[in-house]
Amino acid sequence: MSEHRKRISLDEPLSRDIANAVYASMRDTFGIKVSIGETHYGEGAASLEGDISGIIGLVQEELDGTLVLSMSTEAMRDILPHALGKSFAVTQDTAIDAVAELTNMVFCQIKNALNQRNFEIKLGTPCVVTGKGHFVCQFHRGKHMIVPFHVDGKLFQVYVALQGSPK
Amino acid sequence: MSQLSNLKVLVADDHFLIRQFVLNTLRESKIENVQTVADGNEAIDQVQKAKNENQPYDIVFLDWNMPTVSGLEVLSYFRAKPEYADTAFVMLTAESEQQNLMKAIKAGATSYIVKPVSPSDLGKKLYEINEWLKRKRQVSSGIFG
Repeated sequence: MSEHRKRISLDEPLSRDIANAVYASMRDTFGIKVSIGETHYGEGAASLEGDISGIIGLVQEELDGTLVLSMSTEAMRDILPHALGKSFAVTQDTAIDAVAELTNMVFCQIKNALNQRNFEIKLGTPCVVTGKGHFVCQFHRGKHMIVPFHVDGKLFQVYVALQGSPK
Repeated sequence: MSQLSNLKVLVADDHFLIRQFVLNTLRESKIENVQTVADGNEAIDQVQKAKNENQPYDIVFLDWNMPTVSGLEVLSYFRAKPEYADTAFVMLTAESEQQNLMKAIKAGATSYIVKPVSPSDLGKKLYEINEWLKRKRQVSSGIFG
């Protein structure tokens, strides 16, 4: 690890970066305000509430992790017309497309914020997983954090899992 | 070309959300002559076709990451052709790191927009791009007019 690089951890500053990124993406793209819930910290498997999840790998020199944005199709049905017009009919495909782009925007902002503070992280290629009430779990014994958001009374979540090999 | 409403614009982005978002914002600025495509190859075809029909695009928005041909590749392709020198190519990207933005500028991007962008910020960019087009065309008409 280089002299100036900092090790990323599941903490309040990261939670704030996530909140800022989601808030800005929702405000600028959809013109809506989201409310941010209390961050949950845990270990092992976690159950996320969503039908569509955008997933991106995160890599630092001695650490890797996963970033997930999970949302229900219903939530996207409420959100998308804010950007595309009230008469816009949201299909499963457009909801998936929107979650994919939202994932990209949110996690790029988080990366940019972290790298401005010398974390030097890289992101993998995003992918989207869909399925009614699907289960997201991590295949390692690392820790995770979940930041919940509400929009129009609907919940969506950002999940970050990290595992490292401390020196 | 002095009024925004006279501009002809192409939006190339693989995500429907962004295509539609930019399209809606352009329409709010009274720009009606807008086409959208979902990948880099389609963007190249569409820009060349419009030029061949003597109805070239004034502004081309290019998403950085698109399947098959990226926005950066489309930009480099057209910047190698002098006949597209007064077409504004604007990169759309979620990356705001300096090294990536420098890549776009070096490749000849007229401007770049970091997503997420609000409709009002996109409107300001449009104004700046229109000013660039005016300057560019004044120079061209000064040389060739």
